[in-house]
Amino acid sequence: MLEIKNLQKSYGKGAPVLKDLNLTVRGEQVLSVIGSSGAGKSTLLRCINRLVEPTSGTITLNGTDFTTLTKKELRMERRRIGMIFQSFNLVDRLTVMENIQSGRLGYISTWAALTRRYPKEDIRKAYQLMERVGIAHYANKRADELSGGERQRVGVVRALMQRPEILLADEPTASLDPKTSEQIMALLRSLAEELDLPVIINIHNVTEAKEYSDRIVGMRYGKIIFDDLPDALNKEQMDEIYSGTPAEDRQAMGAAA
Amino acid sequence: MSAMSKSGDSTPVVTDHWKKPPFIENPIIRYGVMLAVFAYLSITLLTLPIDWQRAAEGLERASRIFGGAFPPSFERSGLLIKGFLESFKIAILASVGGVLLSVPLAFMAAKNIAPKSIYLLGRGIIIVARSFHPVIVAILFVKAVGFGPLAGVLTLVVYSIGFVAKLLAERIEEIDFGQVEALKSAGASFIATVAYAILPQIMPRLVGLGIYQLDSNLRASAVVGIVGAGGIGATLANAFGRYDYDFALAITMVIVGVILISEAFSGVIRKRIS
Repeated sequence: MLEIKNLQKSYGKGAPVLKDLNLTVRGEQVLSVIGSSGAGKSTLLRCINRLVEPTSGTITLNGTDFTTLTKKELRMERRRIGMIFQSFNLVDRLTVMENIQSGRLGYISTWAALTRRYPKEDIRKAYQLMERVGIAHYANKRADELSGGERQRVGVVRALMQRPEILLADEPTASLDPKTSEQIMALLRSLAEELDLPVIINIHNVTEAKEYSDRIVGMRYGKIIFDDLPDALNKEQMDEIYSGTPAEDRQAMGAAA
Repeated sequence: MSAMSKSGDSTPVVTDHWKKPPFIENPIIRYGVMLAVFAYLSITLLTLPIDWQRAAEGLERASRIFGGAFPPSFERSGLLIKGFLESFKIAILASVGGVLLSVPLAFMAAKNIAPKSIYLLGRGIIIVARSFHPVIVAILFVKAVGFGPLAGVLTLVVYSIGFVAKLLAERIEEIDFGQVEALKSAGASFIATVAYAILPQIMPRLVGLGIYQLDSNLRASAVVGIVGAGGIGATLANAFGRYDYDFALAITMVIVGVILISEAFSGVIRKRIS
């Protein structure tokens, strides 16, 4: 269970990007976060594994408070959170297998990593997962030889190699064509069920969000203003989530303050 | 808008001339700068101490040197080959050592990787390595470790660091940080992150720089040899010192040839990599 309490994030002295945000995610559900650009979706996701340092508040994953960890502890605990990215963030010049095994870098020794001597069990697991997502025959290809959808599958497998307790997906389909995008969403959906894994997805495509998630959270300017089942999301709420622009909101806030 | 209203009738006024705005907008400053540059150049040229008579004598002397240089003499080709082999050794050792030292230095001097204090230290070392021409560094090393190839190797190591570490640091600052983020979020250690996310991205540049530096060191080794740091440069300096202009010309011709070949080689290899 992931529990976010009173999360606040401001960059410098400006108005906060996340304002007193509370969110609880329980096992095996796909949760989609929607909202216009600049609403704070990406910051929220990055605060969870502290790629972005939260200003205040607590983030607890199955009993571990992530916000109080030291640098070394954080490195160990980050293994429990898998992340996939909009631009895939694969290492282009390495093989698919190396990319996938880089999900295990938090577990294996630096020497084993440098010499590419991966544990047998990890290699077995990698092939098994690659088979599952349909990229098994690409193990020795360089990552930049793959198509967008295939690259994102590598990204998914890399994250799963961590044996994560939760999966964060930061706009995983935004660089993909509509058909591939649906395939990746369906894949995340079915993996969540198979592995009993909660998945949080930042997404711009509301139709896909409604189709593939169990729950939708709508953010507008650092706050959650909608949190319900996909079917409960109607026209008025959509308009409210996407109304105005963050810049206007910020100005209004400034005037009020 | 005002142009529209002035014309009154329905035909809109079309502006048909346009001039590129001048680089310096204020005309006083613009012409002032031009005048100042011209004035400074004229004054420098007029006040430069040039002894025209001596220069005229020099022409005569130059013709004597060139006269003595023809035809080039390859009589002592053994000495020439020995000098070249030493230059190659100097260039290769200096390139390998310089590149090996440049890699950690480049990481130290990359803003997006190193903490501020280490960054400043790394940049400082690179700036010092860059600020002196290899000939000056060579003079220092010849004083420190004596005449010969060791001084040459040390000089060119410094020279290589100044070039390779600086450009490599700039490449590190340009990397796609998303790959680093991906490895961080998997809990990878610093060294593993460097090896998996950063090295693959900078490798083509590193190899290119290394090959270019080998070529460049070979050229520079001929120059630093003249001040006593070994190699073909030392052979050339000796030939001049003994008025063996024909041998000196032979050496110069071979240097030009070797550098042309090495440049072509390094060009081909670098093109292949990128």
